[in-house]
Amino acid sequence: MKALGRHLKDINRNKAMLLMVLPASLWFICFSYLPMLGTIISFKEYRFSGSFLSSIINSKWVGFDNFKFLFRTDDAYIITRNTILYNAVFIFIGLVLAVAMAIVLSEIANKRLAKWYQTGMFMPYFLSWVIVGYFVYSFLSYDRGMINKIAIALGADPTQWYSEPKYWPLIIVLVFLWKSLGYNSVIYLAAIMGIDKSLYEAAMIDGANKWQQIRNITLPMLTPLMTILTLLAIGRIFYADFGLFYQVTRDSGTLYSVTNVIDTYVYRGLKTTGEIGMSTAAGLYQSFVGFVLVITSNYIVRRFNKDNALF
Amino acid sequence: MSSTRKKLTFGLTSILAASLVLGACGNNKAADNSAASGNGDKGETVELSWYTIGTPQKDVDKVMEEVSKYTKEKIGATVKMTMIDWGDYNQKMQVLTASGASMDIMFTASWAFDYVQNARKGAFAPIDELLDQYGKGIKETLDPAFLEGSKVDGKNYGVPANKELPAQEVWRFNKNILEENNLSFEGVRTLESLEPLLKTVKENNPDVIPFQVDKNFMPYVPYDYLIEKFPLAVKLDDTEYKVVNVFETPEMKQALATMNKYYKAGYVPTEAATLESSSDVQATGLWFADKATTQPFADNVWSTSYGYPIISTPQSDALVYNLSVMGSMQAISANSKHKEKAMEFLNLLNTDPVLRNMVDSGIEGTHYKKVDDTHMENLPESKNYDMPTFSLGNVMLTYLNPGDPDNKWEEFKSYNDAGQPAILLGFNFDPSKVSTEIAAVQNAKEAFWAPLMTGTVDPEAYVPKAIEKLQAAGLDKIMAEAQSQLDAWKAANNK
Repeated sequence: MKALGRHLKDINRNKAMLLMVLPASLWFICFSYLPMLGTIISFKEYRFSGSFLSSIINSKWVGFDNFKFLFRTDDAYIITRNTILYNAVFIFIGLVLAVAMAIVLSEIANKRLAKWYQTGMFMPYFLSWVIVGYFVYSFLSYDRGMINKIAIALGADPTQWYSEPKYWPLIIVLVFLWKSLGYNSVIYLAAIMGIDKSLYEAAMIDGANKWQQIRNITLPMLTPLMTILTLLAIGRIFYADFGLFYQVTRDSGTLYSVTNVIDTYVYRGLKTTGEIGMSTAAGLYQSFVGFVLVITSNYIVRRFNKDNALF
Repeated sequence: MSSTRKKLTFGLTSILAASLVLGACGNNKAADNSAASGNGDKGETVELSWYTIGTPQKDVDKVMEEVSKYTKEKIGATVKMTMIDWGDYNQKMQVLTASGASMDIMFTASWAFDYVQNARKGAFAPIDELLDQYGKGIKETLDPAFLEGSKVDGKNYGVPANKELPAQEVWRFNKNILEENNLSFEGVRTLESLEPLLKTVKENNPDVIPFQVDKNFMPYVPYDYLIEKFPLAVKLDDTEYKVVNVFETPEMKQALATMNKYYKAGYVPTEAATLESSSDVQATGLWFADKATTQPFADNVWSTSYGYPIISTPQSDALVYNLSVMGSMQAISANSKHKEKAMEFLNLLNTDPVLRNMVDSGIEGTHYKKVDDTHMENLPESKNYDMPTFSLGNVMLTYLNPGDPDNKWEEFKSYNDAGQPAILLGFNFDPSKVSTEIAAVQNAKEAFWAPLMTGTVDPEAYVPKAIEKLQAAGLDKIMAEAQSQLDAWKAANNK
């Protein structure tokens, strides 16, 4: 009884904070925790029979059959390789460039101009991949694209961009960076703004130049944030952004060897049969691997520096 | 409170709680029973919930009120229509069905909320008995091929709309450009026979695309496909009913070689393999020839909708495929509480011209006016109730537009009667045993399907690679399964 009283007092004292967190918590409970119960569908052959609940209960168990299509062919190796490699590059290069951008933005003397640059970089994040796909098409189209027109003007041969796999790893990374850099750098920028200015003043008095200041003050102060964001990104390493790999590539068949990722593979494979059990199985597979990776990397980070770990 | 009293209180409270719960359950059952029995007596007016496809129109509720007055009188049911937009239809219907929402009638087709797939999943109620009891009118007006062809595993799950039945592939030509170059399509039927025309247009009209093709294009070959855009098919005149890989057939090999020749000569747009649809090019009119599926008086329909004259010539025989009977169907939901009434309504819709035209064009005098017995004209209000006619039911009951010939529906009927059934009409492949292989093969085939079909890549090099990849993904297993299902169906139907 006493413990309950204490808890209620706690809640009362913090009610403003808890109220702020309430909407987000509800969202997570509805869309992230409750659906976890639905992973049971990945072990069943889902058939309709009345309400959603009774459909699940009445569908028959099929064990691990729904997972087989992910591992059946050579494609399995290709999609896994593509997903992991692209995400690794995105995480690493994204991190380096976002921090660099944030530092550069924080150093610009004219604060108003800095705001304009920041907003300009932020804008692409809000565009849908369908629109970005058409942007890219306007550059890479064979007969009407800007790049080929410039190539012809310079006397070179136009390229069939959507049929040449070798250029696409670069194109995809560039497009991804263009879209996400603004958003990520703003996060780091906010952290940099929070660093105590007196540290920099002390460093300047000690005769440190810009680069030494960045290396010894800014970067160490940003390390916890970088670690957390990277750990979270590692948790999603098996998830690829469907819009990027389907819309920007215009679903071009000849590029599949470099652009097919787990999400596009599942979509293409299940479009005709619509087996809900199989798509749920794919989702479970992705999140399970992500889970294992997060726990492992967190453990590794913990060994180095207890404070920087997620949990 | 003494210990005994506490225990007694606790015991009584739990009994009270338990009885409340059980009582509620019991009441629910009773309520269900009375609702079910309520259906039986004619006195109850039932409200039918009808989900159909199309951009939601402003006047739907107004028109449905009028429709409900009519249907209440005739069959004791009122109708509430919910329209779901074209692009959203699949997703929204999936959610509605999966969550068990109460629906009575829903639109379905091979291309919208996949009829076969969802019938197998258990979304629709089998209607064979309902048709016999309450749908006699439907059975009389519909060509039997419609009901034969839309059986899934031996049962019917939807009422097809009576419209054009056979599918026939034609070559369409932009009439202006045809006449400008003094060309005629006399003798044009095969893919190869197009060449001289394409060559002339390429030389004389540099802005015009000689052969408009997009990623959905497939050259016509005399085979009936087991699954749409899937390499397994049966030859149209094969008495053995042998399932083959279409890439191994001489006809397809030749067609692909010709497409490649056309691509290299510049007759086909360079990015055809990634082009989602040709509607942008069609809007500009800067194209000469393409392939399309026809219906009676199609040339008029196309010319009116594009705004410039189109003329066509056949490239295949008019055959009745599974796809042609599953282009527009109304299904009754498996968990509908008013299945009999729903069938009565569908029967009325497909036989009564008053109801059919009300649903199709709206309220007479407000949305349209009748010019004579069989023709009607749209009034300005009609823009608030513009419905996709083909999706709602028997089109041959609808009033004709001013420009239509009087014998339009007779022509349709003779076109339908003349259609021959295709070899696989009535056979629907059940993929559930091989869904793993199908997922793998789908990915393998998507990699080169559009590039091969549009002629973008050289078939000499790619077709062997394609066949290899398909085998590796498990095409043989699917083929064996398909063959055994087909043999069983053949035996059961004495073919």
